[in-house]
Amino acid sequence: MFDLALADYFAWLRSFFEYVSERETSIMLRESQYVMPWVFVLHVVSMCMFAGTILMMDLRLLGVGNMATPFSQVQRRLFPWQMAAMFFSAATGLALVWGNPMNYVTNIIFWVKMLAMGIAGLNALAFHFITEYTLVDWDAGETPPFGAKLAGGLSILLWANVIVAGRLIPYALTWFRTY
Amino acid sequence: MYEYFVQIAAWGPSKAINESSWIFALVQAFHLVSLGFLAGSLLMVDLRLLGRGFSQQPLATVARDARPWLIGSLVAMVLTGVPQFISLATKEYDSPYFRWKMLMLLIALIFTFTIRKRVAYAPEGRFGGAISKAVALVSIGLWTSVAINGRLIGFFS
Repeated sequence: MFDLALADYFAWLRSFFEYVSERETSIMLRESQYVMPWVFVLHVVSMCMFAGTILMMDLRLLGVGNMATPFSQVQRRLFPWQMAAMFFSAATGLALVWGNPMNYVTNIIFWVKMLAMGIAGLNALAFHFITEYTLVDWDAGETPPFGAKLAGGLSILLWANVIVAGRLIPYALTWFRTY
Repeated sequence: MYEYFVQIAAWGPSKAINESSWIFALVQAFHLVSLGFLAGSLLMVDLRLLGRGFSQQPLATVARDARPWLIGSLVAMVLTGVPQFISLATKEYDSPYFRWKMLMLLIALIFTFTIRKRVAYAPEGRFGGAISKAVALVSIGLWTSVAINGRLIGFFS
């Protein structure tokens, strides 16, 4: 029998989240009536810009959208917007967790979201360091190779997973028993 | 007017959505995924209008490429938006943010499929840079206000 006392392995994580929840800034955020809703609003608006510019690039990689523009141009032009939007999504997301850390530390859907974000990041890096070297062969072409389609398809699925999980975080309390 | 909203909320499918513990949640989640696609297909053209990219392709070509994704994501937004509305019809009736969202949505749709469409599909150089930029900024502003009011419905109603 395996006896995986997962709670013990993650004790350090819980104590870190507890430490955050006791910070003055965390208490201030938590007790503010209007700041948190507006941080949520800004998180959604940054998400629109981030997901929008990522998904449009992914459609080009899949060979199903924006085909009149070579991939390299789509990528180069959208990149600064993707990075700016990622910064604002991350900053507002961090503020949300900072203000209510104990809501998230035992929330399984929150960790699914974090995991999907991590894998999406690895997927982007893998494309950048492997598949992108073949770019000259298919940049303006009709159909990108399998590797590019795989990167685009995985990216769409993973970021959709991030958005869906993000929206479902509050439901974890009614759907799962967590300790 | 209010009685119609009461009737919508009392309709079988509306009640079914309310009684389920997961339908509303999933519909909401996919409303947001569709929002990502909608934002992207709008931004492709708005960034081009702002002179921030894709300048090696004619504007009308960029707009034509974005069009199926714009239409498709708008359809998905409506398909995932209506179930949320019918299940909360009486609550939405009282929400100022819902009313603002619907008003801004109407203006945004009319603007997108009249003025913005005309500028986006015009031959290169027909409209000056200032007009193109103004159209892009109005488009971004209108659609952002739809999203902001949409998010606020859930907080203050």
